[in-house]
Amino acid sequence: MEKTDEMVGVAESAAVVSVEPPVRRIRPWPHGAVLAIAAGAVAVLLLAGTRWLNQPAVQAWRTVCLAITVQALPFLLLGTALSGAINAFVPAELFTRVLPRRAALAVPVAGVAGAVLPGCECASVPVANSLIRRGVTPAAAFAFLLSAPAVNPVVLTATAVAFPGNPAMVAARLLASLATAAVMGWLWLWLGKERWLRPQPRHGHTGHRHGSSRWNEFRLGFQHDFLHAGGFLVLGAMAAATFNVAVPRSVLDTFSGSPWLSVPFLAGLAVLLAVCSEADAFVAASLAGFSPTARLAFMVVGPMVDLKLIALQAGTFGRAFAWRFSTATTVTAVAASVLIGGALL
Amino acid sequence: MRRPVQTLLLTLTGIGLLHTTLFTDIYLRYVKAGLRPLLIVSGAVLLLLGLASAALGDGQGQTYDDDHGREPTPDHGHDHSGAPRVAWLLFLPALSLLFYAPPALGAYTAARSNAKPVSMPKRGFAPLPATSPLPLTLTDFTRRVQQDRTLAIRNRAVRLTGFVTPAEDADGWYLTRIIFTCCAADSQTVKVRVYGTEAPPADTWLAVTGTWHPRGALGTVTAEAALDVTDARPVAQPVNAFTDDLPLTPS
Repeated sequence: MEKTDEMVGVAESAAVVSVEPPVRRIRPWPHGAVLAIAAGAVAVLLLAGTRWLNQPAVQAWRTVCLAITVQALPFLLLGTALSGAINAFVPAELFTRVLPRRAALAVPVAGVAGAVLPGCECASVPVANSLIRRGVTPAAAFAFLLSAPAVNPVVLTATAVAFPGNPAMVAARLLASLATAAVMGWLWLWLGKERWLRPQPRHGHTGHRHGSSRWNEFRLGFQHDFLHAGGFLVLGAMAAATFNVAVPRSVLDTFSGSPWLSVPFLAGLAVLLAVCSEADAFVAASLAGFSPTARLAFMVVGPMVDLKLIALQAGTFGRAFAWRFSTATTVTAVAASVLIGGALL
Repeated sequence: MRRPVQTLLLTLTGIGLLHTTLFTDIYLRYVKAGLRPLLIVSGAVLLLLGLASAALGDGQGQTYDDDHGREPTPDHGHDHSGAPRVAWLLFLPALSLLFYAPPALGAYTAARSNAKPVSMPKRGFAPLPATSPLPLTLTDFTRRVQQDRTLAIRNRAVRLTGFVTPAEDADGWYLTRIIFTCCAADSQTVKVRVYGTEAPPADTWLAVTGTWHPRGALGTVTAEAALDVTDARPVAQPVNAFTDDLPLTPS
């Protein structure tokens, strides 16, 4: 492998030099060092770690972490395939034609359009990114990003099943999610700054390039986006699994008493647990001690902000964006849940 | 991340997914059974992507995969160098699925969670079948004990299946099932307290036969979901270990 790497490296630098001025960044982590550290870590694990790896807590952590990753992979693939297809096959003019010209109008339209993307939240980040690359105004793309995992028919059906005989909960979830998505879009129009977004990398696969086959473009974009987002997905899954295992569920019920504390508490729990949006209604239904409004907040915040989404967004749009956006979204979503939950539930 | 490593990573992830879903039941430890077709498709897509990457390269004769140095602006370079490197983390689930699959959630998780509250059946309680011992799920048993005003469960011999979770005090132990809605991250626990036998080792799967352990008023929430056991025999872990159904034992 070393050898192949080197040969590729040589070919690559030659190619780069011939195309661009010979500026080459010095890698802070040479590959040899990374390989050596990895080999060392594996050796240590094999020698001393197997007993440690078989501790019940560590095993439960590995199970939950792997479960989150495996469960999200199909949806992440769907999302990256869609975003690759949008990049390679959909002409940029299409979106500017379909969406209203006024950005303030485009935001709610994009929010409602979120209903067409079935699946959970991992799919929407790459799709929103490719929409921005295709010239959709970021505010509209963010409204889509936030609403898509919460208002699609799959998730709403799951909510109706989890709360039998309580259609108000489904309606409240739909309305509160759409409201949050629209408000966040408008908030971006009002206060958002382009420089918070990481400048879009101009890869070969972005947009149509003369002389290359569209299928090849699609494949390369798909591969790159998947590997990139997949890495962040694993990172987020690790964080969520850590919380999931470290804090026993029985502790949670102690917070159910106070109606005012319970709303922010369940909102925070949704961020930390990172439950898939197709399943969060069932978790919310099981939190029986909490008020309906608090459970609504759990279901509105969960698909929009959670640890694996923050990791995915930081990877896609940059860290400066991810923390501002996630904080604002959490506050907006809690406010929307309290207002709409107070009116409907 | 270099191209050969990307190819290897895609292929390994694809094979890992196909291995757990197509040839074994390992995936059932992590996700609900309904995800199987999606996982098989995902595995096949990743495998094809890896093979295509190995066979076709980037199809340009031009480097694309390694982003270093393509954009000379310093702030940009920083973001980028981090981006492909994070993909190394994907090796962990891939290798874990292939070679070192973690076990299903068990007594450790069950002991640390509260019992899932049972919901009222929508159409009331049907009369219990006459079979004896009567196979019931842990949820159905709890529901009958705590909500059935007809007290049909009184003096009935029932058979429950689950795994052993030691109790925090020495008096008895719990028969437990862990239920996923979607994946192991949203697991919920159903517990029935068992009296009358020594606690077997944690995580043993058992089919126990017994009658309701009288404590509290039957048919109200004060009744404890508990069983006086007359017979407990080990069973193989059911295929549908993580659903709220009667066990399907492997044949």
